[in-house]
Amino acid sequence: MPRVLIVDDHAFIRRGVQTILHPFPEWEFCGEADNGRDAIRMADELKPEIIIMDVSMPGLNGIEATRAIRKTQPAVKIVLLTLHESADLVRNAFRAGARGYLLKTDAEQELVRALTAVIGDGTYISPKIDSEIARSVINEVSCHH
Amino acid sequence: MRSGTKTVKILVADDHDIIRRGLKQLLTSRSGWEVCGEAKTGREAVALAEQLKPEIVVMDISMPDLNGLEAARRIHKSFPKMGILILTLHFSDQLVRDIVEAGARAYIMKSDADRDLVSAVEALANHRTFFTSRAAEMLLNGFTNQNSVPDPEAHLRNRLTSREREIVQLLAEGKSSKEVAVALGISVKTAETHRANIMRKLEMHSVSEVVRYAVKNQIIEA
Repeated sequence: MPRVLIVDDHAFIRRGVQTILHPFPEWEFCGEADNGRDAIRMADELKPEIIIMDVSMPGLNGIEATRAIRKTQPAVKIVLLTLHESADLVRNAFRAGARGYLLKTDAEQELVRALTAVIGDGTYISPKIDSEIARSVINEVSCHH
Repeated sequence: MRSGTKTVKILVADDHDIIRRGLKQLLTSRSGWEVCGEAKTGREAVALAEQLKPEIVVMDISMPDLNGLEAARRIHKSFPKMGILILTLHFSDQLVRDIVEAGARAYIMKSDADRDLVSAVEALANHRTFFTSRAAEMLLNGFTNQNSVPDPEAHLRNRLTSREREIVQLLAEGKSSKEVAVALGISVKTAETHRANIMRKLEMHSVSEVVRYAVKNQIIEA
């Protein structure tokens, strides 16, 4: 059963993610952090299979935290959860080692699909992101793996 | 809570499904509180407030169609006793004034929701007000100033358009006219015209004066 760590500086986003996952007991909630630094520490302690991570957080942001976590735990699958539809951010997220990029506006419908994709060694990018960008980012990442 | 058994009906308005979900979860963890409706736009919030007559409306400020401020203004006009709580991502002094003026009696920052949301709704349920600590401080200072000497800058500030206030922030953050133009998707010439108008209205002659003004008014953090 994959264990999921949730990282977001906003409590109601963390609660929202939890309630989306609630009807799907195969995804086990194992902890939550409200900043990038705690995320790194908890990823180390709890060894989750999946991390759902916000991008803009005070202090250490989600991209930096992703990079740090992937260094010590290359197997963990990180899905970034963000409000921003920027192509650069998608590229930076995947370069930092994220395997999924989910827009907060799509979370309700797409979260479980995103988690399923990345746990099966796939990648996931929100359908609202331009498909050309998505394709080029995924190509670039798969070349490096 | 007022009597312990009475249900408090709450309307939640935010354009993001996931945020409404989270807000609902945080609110319904209190016994006696019920989320009676959900709105995705300001317009829906106004309609649902009329239809469901909740005691309290918890509302995001940036929503499509009709924003939270305008929705608050309309709801307050029809139902002056309804408690309106505004949620925002960012803090600015102008925003606090606008929120109070719109008739909202509570204001919290999204980042403080886990600490402040329940306290704010509780205050509204008891017909009291709740403002995020920075806003409370600012309101208190503002009112104190008003009672002694009228603040000439406040008067001038009111003459800035919302676009100009936006640009004051960008200039104070160190952006050049060109960067302002890029950030707002306007021409450099338009950005420069705005900048000249701001300087004229505030009677300032340099960007460093604008920075001091922005810090003093908490448009940016020092």
